[in-house]
Amino acid sequence: MTLFGVVCLLPAVYMLVESFVASDGTLTLVNYTRLLSEARQRELLLNTITLGVAASAIASAIGIPLGFLLARLKLPIVALLRIGLLVPLAIPPYVLALVWAFATDYSAVTYSLTGGAIVLGIGFFPLSMLASEAGFRGIDASLEQAGLVIATPRRVFFSITLPLVWPFVSAAGLLVFALSVAEFGVPGLLRIRVFTTEVFTAFAALYDFGRATALAVPLLVITLIAAMIARWIAGERLLATSAGWRPAVWCPHTVLKAAVILWVLAVIAVVTAVPIAVLIANAKHVIANIILSWSAIRTSIVLSTLGATCIVMVGVVLGYGRGRMRSRAHILADLFLIAAFAVPSTVMGVGMIGLWNRPAIPIELYASRLAILMAYMARFLPVAVLIIAASVRQTPRALEEAAEISGAPWARTFARIVIPQIRPSIVGAWIAVFIFTFGELGTTLLVTPPGESTLPVRVYTLIANSHEGEIATLALLQVVATVIPICIFVLGFGRVKDA
Amino acid sequence: MSTDAFVRVINIRKQLGDRVVLNDFSLELNKGEFVALLGRSGSGKTTILRLLAGLETPDAGEIWIAGSLVSKDGRNYVPPRLRGIGFVFQDLALWPHMTIHQSVDFVLAASSIPKLERGKRINDVLTTARIPDLGQRYPHQLSGGERQRAALARALAPAPRVLLLDEPMSSLDADLKSELVSELQTLHRTFALTTMYVTHDVAEISRLADRAIQMSSGVLPPR
Repeated sequence: MTLFGVVCLLPAVYMLVESFVASDGTLTLVNYTRLLSEARQRELLLNTITLGVAASAIASAIGIPLGFLLARLKLPIVALLRIGLLVPLAIPPYVLALVWAFATDYSAVTYSLTGGAIVLGIGFFPLSMLASEAGFRGIDASLEQAGLVIATPRRVFFSITLPLVWPFVSAAGLLVFALSVAEFGVPGLLRIRVFTTEVFTAFAALYDFGRATALAVPLLVITLIAAMIARWIAGERLLATSAGWRPAVWCPHTVLKAAVILWVLAVIAVVTAVPIAVLIANAKHVIANIILSWSAIRTSIVLSTLGATCIVMVGVVLGYGRGRMRSRAHILADLFLIAAFAVPSTVMGVGMIGLWNRPAIPIELYASRLAILMAYMARFLPVAVLIIAASVRQTPRALEEAAEISGAPWARTFARIVIPQIRPSIVGAWIAVFIFTFGELGTTLLVTPPGESTLPVRVYTLIANSHEGEIATLALLQVVATVIPICIFVLGFGRVKDA
Repeated sequence: MSTDAFVRVINIRKQLGDRVVLNDFSLELNKGEFVALLGRSGSGKTTILRLLAGLETPDAGEIWIAGSLVSKDGRNYVPPRLRGIGFVFQDLALWPHMTIHQSVDFVLAASSIPKLERGKRINDVLTTARIPDLGQRYPHQLSGGERQRAALARALAPAPRVLLLDEPMSSLDADLKSELVSELQTLHRTFALTTMYVTHDVAEISRLADRAIQMSSGVLPPR
């Protein structure tokens, strides 16, 4: 827990504290009076909230109906459709922004809030879809049938189904809002002025640390409030689904069913096939460009693999602890985990530099690759903990108690009983973290030492002064590298399940 | 087969997946009769209740309720809400986001009962179910027996013509079960409801039912 506190939470706390400290070390409100006196801050706030709300609305509008269909439609190809619809989650948002720029030919609509909201809505709709699917699937069929014996299907849907699904849908909406507000790559590429880009500019271009910390505070507050409300609404459902239910099934007539399947396939084409096709169409001199950027590609592969492995190792221990918490402390633990995940990438980056780049630290953290690994740990350890904790909660405690009674020590019980039960979630957490780290841009851009570069950082720095053929090639490589582990996971675990 | 029966199930066939649950099954219930259905798990007891309620469609055969053809040969002619059915599910299916008062109000509103009248009806039905003071509670705030009564109150509220009970007491202890059986007996006498009751418990049947039907693999044995 100390490691989690120091790595994940301390940079954000440091930013908050530093925003009240003047350059001579005295307490001051000057950063805030500067912020409040500037009219452009109100524009920043408006842009940030508009982007978050619009992205969340688009993600919900696409994700909720798809979630309903995946949960209720009885089709042999549902699993395949789900994989197709999850692909956007594996594509880093900045790559989607690049696709958007290529597709709209760098016109006025490319560099607009609308464009940013569409890109983020498409990038994050799978979260809304998965949450809605879990919500619709979690409703016991008899709850709706008890309504159907007395009321119309429409009335049952609005009075029973929707209120029961609402916590899932609204929590996902808030999560998408928080992630969109915290996102740096998309507004950075599409030149949308929001808090994350301003924090980056204040620190990296203007070297104004005080301004960067003060700009980070409203951003932190917005994202944290959204994440906290999501936790409050969804409660324990974030980590567990009810057991012993019978899922409801939707059986439309043949024509409607065909129309629905065609619509889902059209969505898959737009959100998956089109982005990949646009990148392929724009990619040029593939081999030559890969060789040119090989160092960055290799660094990304090595650091993401190492990072995901370290994060999951720590995540297993913390996830088990969270999953088995009995006291009310679990609410506090969730709040910290969600708060840490919601810290925007540029805020985390500036906080890490301010905190760790000092002579008193014995290790040369800031000037080494260790800084990138720390950044990955700071941003994505909460993801691994939440995924593994959810799995631990689904595993009956009686399994461990039976081992304890038979005299097995805790370590042996953990290794032989707990780990095999939660193995799919460990693999899932590793893949999720690998995908996130492989696409991480905001924090890495700030903490990467001189002479080093990861693939996203290389793409971002090439955008200003390189041919789009090279950028498209590297973005395509980014997509391929993140989709491959998903396919291995799905095929590998699918075979285990079938066996 | 008599044409005077209140509920008539004629030569029903129902297949769920690969398994034929009911095959050429027939049954009659007279008005006000209390019939118990007995049988092993998978013998089709619950399926019959769901077919009567319109939650499933028979692959073949006919279902008549109060002289109206409601289902025939793969089609439901009357939707569940218009059949006049009260249903107590095995897991009770109490809506977790509504208080008991709100649940009963929901079914009364669906029956187009005016708002002014609903308040009194809710009090009456909660009193009948012996939970007059628990209307403002959510299901998770009730004990097992109270939840049972709440489910019964919700089923009785719109004054159904037929009451279907799917093993509603399977999860209760013996004392509570005995108490609720007595109450169910009183309710049946008071309202003279045509009732079909699925159970495994022979003691319950002897106290409650006018007639018991033993089911085996979905085929009704000769009486």
